[in-house]
Amino acid sequence: MHKATRHLSRLFAALALAGATFHAAAAEPVRIALAGPVTGPVAQYGDMQFIGAKLAIERINEAGGVNGQLLEGSVYDDACDPKQAVAVANKIVNDGIAFVVGHLCSSSTQPAADIYEDEGVLMITPAATSPQITAQGYQLIFRTIGLDSLQGPTAGAFIAERIKPQRVAVLHDKQQYGEGIATAVRKTLQERGVEVALFEGLNAGDKDFSAMIAKLKQAGVDFVYYGGYHPELGLLLRQSAEKGLKVRFMGPEGVGNKELSAIAGPASEGLLLTLPRAFDRDPHNQVLVEAFKAKNQDPSGPFVFPAYAAVQLIAQGIEKAGSSEPEAVAEALRGNTFDTVTGTLAFDDKGDLKDFGFEVYEWHRDASKTRVE
Amino acid sequence: MSTRLRTALFSALLVLAVAWPVLGLKLTTVGIRLEVHNASPAMLWSIAAAALGMFCWQLGRDRLAALWSGAASRPAVPGRLKEVLSLPATQRWGLLALLVPALVWPFFASRGAVDLATLILIYAMLGLGLNIVVGLAGLLDLGYVGFYAVGAYTYALLSEYWGLGFWTCLPIAGAMAALFGFLLGFPVLRLRGDYLAIVTLGFGEIIRILLRNLTDVTGGPNGIGGIDKPTLFGLTFERRAAEGLQTFHGFFGLPYDSADKVIFLYLIALALVLLTLFVINRLLRMPIGRAWEALREDEIACRALGLNPTVIKLSAFTLGACFAGFAGSFFAARQGLVTPESFSFIESAVILAIVVLGGMGSQLGVILAAVVMILLPELMREFSEYRMLLFGALLVLMMVWRPQGLLPMQRPHLELKS
Amino acid sequence: MPELYHYLQQLVNGLTVGSTYALIAIGYTMVYGIIGMINFAHGEVYMIASYVAFIAIAGLSMLGLDHLPLLMAAAFAASIVVASAYGYSIERLAYRPLRGGNRLIPLISAIGMSIFLQNEVLLAQDSRDKAIPSLLPGNLVIGESAMHGVVISWTQILIFAVILLVMLGLTLFISRSRLGRACRACAEDLKMAGLLGIDTHRIIALTFVIGAVLAAVAAVLLGLQYGVINPQMGFLAGIKAFTAAVLGGIGSIPGAMLGGLLLGVAEAFGADLFGDAYKDVVAFSLLVLVLLLRPTGILGRPEVEKV
Repeated sequence: MHKATRHLSRLFAALALAGATFHAAAAEPVRIALAGPVTGPVAQYGDMQFIGAKLAIERINEAGGVNGQLLEGSVYDDACDPKQAVAVANKIVNDGIAFVVGHLCSSSTQPAADIYEDEGVLMITPAATSPQITAQGYQLIFRTIGLDSLQGPTAGAFIAERIKPQRVAVLHDKQQYGEGIATAVRKTLQERGVEVALFEGLNAGDKDFSAMIAKLKQAGVDFVYYGGYHPELGLLLRQSAEKGLKVRFMGPEGVGNKELSAIAGPASEGLLLTLPRAFDRDPHNQVLVEAFKAKNQDPSGPFVFPAYAAVQLIAQGIEKAGSSEPEAVAEALRGNTFDTVTGTLAFDDKGDLKDFGFEVYEWHRDASKTRVE
Repeated sequence: MSTRLRTALFSALLVLAVAWPVLGLKLTTVGIRLEVHNASPAMLWSIAAAALGMFCWQLGRDRLAALWSGAASRPAVPGRLKEVLSLPATQRWGLLALLVPALVWPFFASRGAVDLATLILIYAMLGLGLNIVVGLAGLLDLGYVGFYAVGAYTYALLSEYWGLGFWTCLPIAGAMAALFGFLLGFPVLRLRGDYLAIVTLGFGEIIRILLRNLTDVTGGPNGIGGIDKPTLFGLTFERRAAEGLQTFHGFFGLPYDSADKVIFLYLIALALVLLTLFVINRLLRMPIGRAWEALREDEIACRALGLNPTVIKLSAFTLGACFAGFAGSFFAARQGLVTPESFSFIESAVILAIVVLGGMGSQLGVILAAVVMILLPELMREFSEYRMLLFGALLVLMMVWRPQGLLPMQRPHLELKS
Repeated sequence: MPELYHYLQQLVNGLTVGSTYALIAIGYTMVYGIIGMINFAHGEVYMIASYVAFIAIAGLSMLGLDHLPLLMAAAFAASIVVASAYGYSIERLAYRPLRGGNRLIPLISAIGMSIFLQNEVLLAQDSRDKAIPSLLPGNLVIGESAMHGVVISWTQILIFAVILLVMLGLTLFISRSRLGRACRACAEDLKMAGLLGIDTHRIIALTFVIGAVLAAVAAVLLGLQYGVINPQMGFLAGIKAFTAAVLGGIGSIPGAMLGGLLLGVAEAFGADLFGDAYKDVVAFSLLVLVLLLRPTGILGRPEVEKV
């Protein structure tokens, strides 16, 4: 027992020492909290966000930092759980951090944003796409990714103009992200006179969609749009193929994951999906792509470059404002345009990007994709 | 000797079978193909070491056990102290003694700590409520979180659609939850034991799924956001007050401090817990409280004495639900957002664990257990990814080592010494 | 005619899902029948067995041995062995020391065990979904075409066949063998069985192992059917199977089988009528309804109150 305590105290002493030396090296850095899921079912998306933000911090520091200050990032885990997000947000406020890159899931971003706005912390989310988040007229909340409400019309217009199906089924996973996009798609389709024969939710985490597939057959649909993430869509594709339902599927960027093909196999061939512009294909970003690959990280995830851009925005905002006060930085962000890895960015009053384009891609069974012109 | 060798071999193989496939091999998706790779050599060596250790221990178990019992005796709580600690009177005074520090403490603590304490108080309230149903009346309820959800959504919906304030909604939320408890309890309470458990679990899940699917009313999976925080006689604790309201710091001419809001919420939670404690303590001395415990001990005897089990069970069930409703509406106010996912089965399990861990029926125990159950995962944040693993293991160990709970309740009794 | 095909199709879908519920449900029901506790960690045993099956299949395919019968035999063998080891160890570590106390205590211990196992796999194998391609593609069409007719995939037929065999084996084992008789004796009266010289600890351990074996069989079959696993899958499967066990009358093995099938069919038709998102509501409502009419489940024996 005593031995254990002694060990522990020695450990703490060592930790404290390490912390002290670390702080001494960097004179008063600008601290940035990287908030998102480290654990939980969507941890892999959190990864995308973290590697993007960390590389940005690293490269900005190599270039001398911001106004003579270095950046320092620390990761906070919210597991994409709204309750933990509130705890994490409070912890960030407590730790005296003024800038946040995160959170990931719309459902955890929303309550956290409330706290940041209240406590004067500037937050830029590179991943949460729900329109509701910026709908409250916050001053300090920004995002570097497009809204659900933008992606839905792109997909809907594509279906109506290029596919011209007779009867469409629009399915979703009853989550903020999926249902939001699905609703937007249905609206666009109906406006353009395409019949939506079925609009239904299914349970995220479910494995068996045979009952749903029988319903699709009965409804006689010839095209299916699915709003949600890749695990459910993968299973839907796989089981549709097994059950002889031969229709084309389409999904949002949340389904664009290699595991989709691992789950669905050959059935994933020909799936359509909307994706943000592929930043890792941009010739300007090849240096970064190499840097990611050198670290054995995958730069192709949809949130990697938006997270990188979020850190760049904080840095450039501080430079423009000439201070690291969140309010001043927010004002600078609203009033200027910025050159980032995701292009030239400008914000509207709500804190959303003025322009964020989506493109339609076709997915192949080996998890590669080609752009549909 | 040969049987011992066989046992030892068997145990070692068991360790291997349990550990090696899951910990020693790792599935990785490479491209779109699933591949199996070895885990780190350190992991493989520790699995081998564990198997070897198990083998040796099983071989020399008796001798080692003898050594162990000779050398180290656990620092046990002296019998006398244990006796005094579990007396109802001591526990009552213990609660009172905790009150003063609990009132003063938040003004000196950090924002995060106060916030965490508020969460602990919510769970304490839930634990106390469930304690009526499980600990006192002996009804196994696995769907308690459903009533918590009813309370939370009652406030959220009333605030969203009619703009009612927290203080108006608090009693309504309690009443709503109680009503649900009554309506659900009526048909199911004639079920016994584990059937009751699974039906309540089913109800809890049904409530959650309905909340998730009735998108037009409840906002579906997005839940309801922007719920107002409680006010102090019409004074809000926000930075900027909505029209028709005044801010707390404006009214008293203080500088704005965001910590005020957190402390205020904490104090409300504390008041609610005290109210819960007071009501339960009163009820316990009334015939109904006695009847609950009698029912837990022996239902048939109760019936023989002319007590109506259905009425007694229903009263416990309804009252327990009512407190969950209070806790729920406070939770909604604190969080500012309610989503169906906050009310999943695991919450019921945590609350039940609080009741059992506290020592069933003991109120101080329940509060202590709430502190342990909520604080532990937060303290273990340092171990980040290991914390839930440790939490699960601790739950098992705690049950094995201290099945009677942290602070069991002793019933008042007389001992005759011969 | 198309209507009929549609309903027949839903029936087949429901029976497939239901038969796997039944297999997992037997694990709950046997344990409950003997020691009267809800083994909440049973769903996690199923999850672990799925991982082991995937490891076996992926490992053999890496070696180039992707011959279907071989893959299946390996998956069954590996997952049955490991699941049994887990079933036995869980009982030994988390439940045996608690025997004879308040019945809530093993329940909490089981919940703790369930959290522990889920996180063990989460840490060792990470949280991502793991997927294998369809090993047995193709289907059997009854009717005019795949769009207008009943489609039964080969995997579904395999599931039916294996489960039928397993159920038959289990029934024979319980009714004919010495150990089976001992199991029944323990379920009847544990104390009395002990007095008559049955090693009750051993029989209890045996029920845990049998439950784990059946969960492992279900894990392999469902792994083939859906091809996706993750560490969270045990919870939902466990809850559903437990519901099935209670529906059929907990403690009764034929009850668990019936309950599982009924639950699966109810879910399929519930999804059809009210929408996929409501199928869990339908499942739980059915449970509540059945219990209100028959408080001990469909095939459960009425409890005798003893003074």
